[in-house]
Amino acid sequence: MAVNPKKLRPYDQPPKVRRPIIPNEPDNAATAYLVAALVWFMIATGIGVLWTAMQLFPSQLTFSLAMPTFSGTLKFELSPATVSSGFWNSLVYGWLGNAGLGAIFFITPRLLPGRLVKENFASVSAGLWNVGLLAGLAVVYMPQLAASGALTEFPLPIDGVLLLALLLANASFWLTLLASRDRLPYVSIWYFGVALAAFLGLYGLASLAPLINLPATGAALTNAFYGRALETLVVNGIALGTLYYVIPRATANPLYSRGLAMLGWLLWLGLSTFAPLATLVDTSVPFAVTQLGNVATFLLVVPAFLVATNLLVTVSGRWSLILSPGTIPFAMVALTFLVTTALLEAIGALGSVRTLVSGTQWGVGVRLFAFLGMASLAFLALADHAFPRLLRRDWGGTLLAEATQWAVFAGAALAGLALISGGIAHGSLLAQGAAAEQIGRTLFWFRLALGGGMGLAALGALIATLNVFLMYTTARRADYAVVGEAAPAAAAH
Amino acid sequence: MTVHTPIESRTRGVPRWAVGLTSGMFLVAAVFFATNLAGANPRIGGTPAPSAGGRNAAAIIKAAGCQACHGPDLAGLAAFPSLHGVKNGPASANLKQLGSTNPTDWANIWIAGLDPSVSDPALRRGMPAFGGPPFNLTADEIATVVAYLKTLP
Repeated sequence: MAVNPKKLRPYDQPPKVRRPIIPNEPDNAATAYLVAALVWFMIATGIGVLWTAMQLFPSQLTFSLAMPTFSGTLKFELSPATVSSGFWNSLVYGWLGNAGLGAIFFITPRLLPGRLVKENFASVSAGLWNVGLLAGLAVVYMPQLAASGALTEFPLPIDGVLLLALLLANASFWLTLLASRDRLPYVSIWYFGVALAAFLGLYGLASLAPLINLPATGAALTNAFYGRALETLVVNGIALGTLYYVIPRATANPLYSRGLAMLGWLLWLGLSTFAPLATLVDTSVPFAVTQLGNVATFLLVVPAFLVATNLLVTVSGRWSLILSPGTIPFAMVALTFLVTTALLEAIGALGSVRTLVSGTQWGVGVRLFAFLGMASLAFLALADHAFPRLLRRDWGGTLLAEATQWAVFAGAALAGLALISGGIAHGSLLAQGAAAEQIGRTLFWFRLALGGGMGLAALGALIATLNVFLMYTTARRADYAVVGEAAPAAAAH
Repeated sequence: MTVHTPIESRTRGVPRWAVGLTSGMFLVAAVFFATNLAGANPRIGGTPAPSAGGRNAAAIIKAAGCQACHGPDLAGLAAFPSLHGVKNGPASANLKQLGSTNPTDWANIWIAGLDPSVSDPALRRGMPAFGGPPFNLTADEIATVVAYLKTLP
């Protein structure tokens, strides 16, 4: 018998389910961060293409737009300087920052007993982080409003929003760890703990440094230290913790050696803390301090090698997974970039090489290897593993995943190698006293290769996003267990 | 039932080869560090010394953003020319004419955007980055920067 809903009395109606304004469901924060990360990956690589075009045709692409405001004229400027800022900020904070925080909030509750404590804190942090970044990205194109330095261009109010986001993310992570009472958690948690605390501390110091009116040299040295520490402690830390999670999970093999993992973590922690000292190159800094940083940079090869060996042996018995599209190929390419980057940084720490490539883009190339190669592929490995579980879809091993892997791998390799080899050529020409025109003509071809690499990476980002979109819209629903809910199957992690 | 699936490990201890490798590398690094302590750091890239006139060329160059295009040490970056060698006259082909007609102040004219021989209005807007206010420099600031550039090798 049909029921007329208008005739239902209030107590006959089902109770209304109130949805909280701030989502508090399991995995909400991880989903928000990882979806935002993919969007930022497209934005960052898109700006990266513009960044390379700017280096090829600077005068044709440079323009500014004056906008009248109540307090004067505001200038929007598209120049090599502003586009470079936009590229690095969107790559490091947008793509790698979101993906890293998403990885932490996906992995942590799966390794520690119980769900994430204060999930709503983590969800709010995802919102604040992305709103702050969008505002910050707009500001870098308005040099009147932007602050100075590399990766520190955001003005103080935006820094405040981002710091609050990091504080909330830290709170959720550390409360979860405390609640777990796990005395010796898995190695990924150790990496995440250091990286999260370092992110908050470093970002806080970099934001507050301008308030104490450092002299120009001090400000430049602080900024150089910050950029390098962000790479070694934060980006590398989260990426290594992620690789330690995805490889045993995707192969369903136990980790080869816990002792080796902890040794690698200890070495990484100590050396990554000292390695940024190598950036303090000025007459005001004792040479021994800079040299200590160079030695630490050189020694970072050891933890990179230990991590790679530990994880490679973990795969043994499941080698066929390397040849099939999915999580493991992404992770293997990330490990290759990890060792390559560590070797290149060690070579760059040698005095003769430092002298040759000083003032060239060698260092930028090595940093692209670390960010666009190692870290990006580690987070893409996690995305391949996590998205079917977060969106509860039966999806995996698609041609699109393979296309993403090859495009990002080829793009990062080509772009990084173009800058590294261009840096060597530039340094050699400077040493020979070549004219600026000759240097410009030679470097043009390296810039062209850089453009090709960035284009491929942008294509990879586009395909990765398309893959997730198709997964969500076309794949059939699958019942993976969500942390804190009943598990439908034994192996549904 | 909550889903807590710890990752097991095959062994707990540290393999001997890892201990040996780590110790060996640290030994090499310690020897390298101990034998390479002599030396001095150069001045930070892109922070020139204050110029003789009392104005700080470093501050002007930093504020104007010269290093963004010309490199941290002003030795050029990609397609952007080096600012070294200004004392020897212009190196760029498009500035040869300006250099020959204004041998002493061609750099000042170029930075200020006053070169009448440049037909492209975008290029005549002057340095830095061919921009207008608030980034254009005063004549005194330009003179300070050029005086400094002439001290570069």
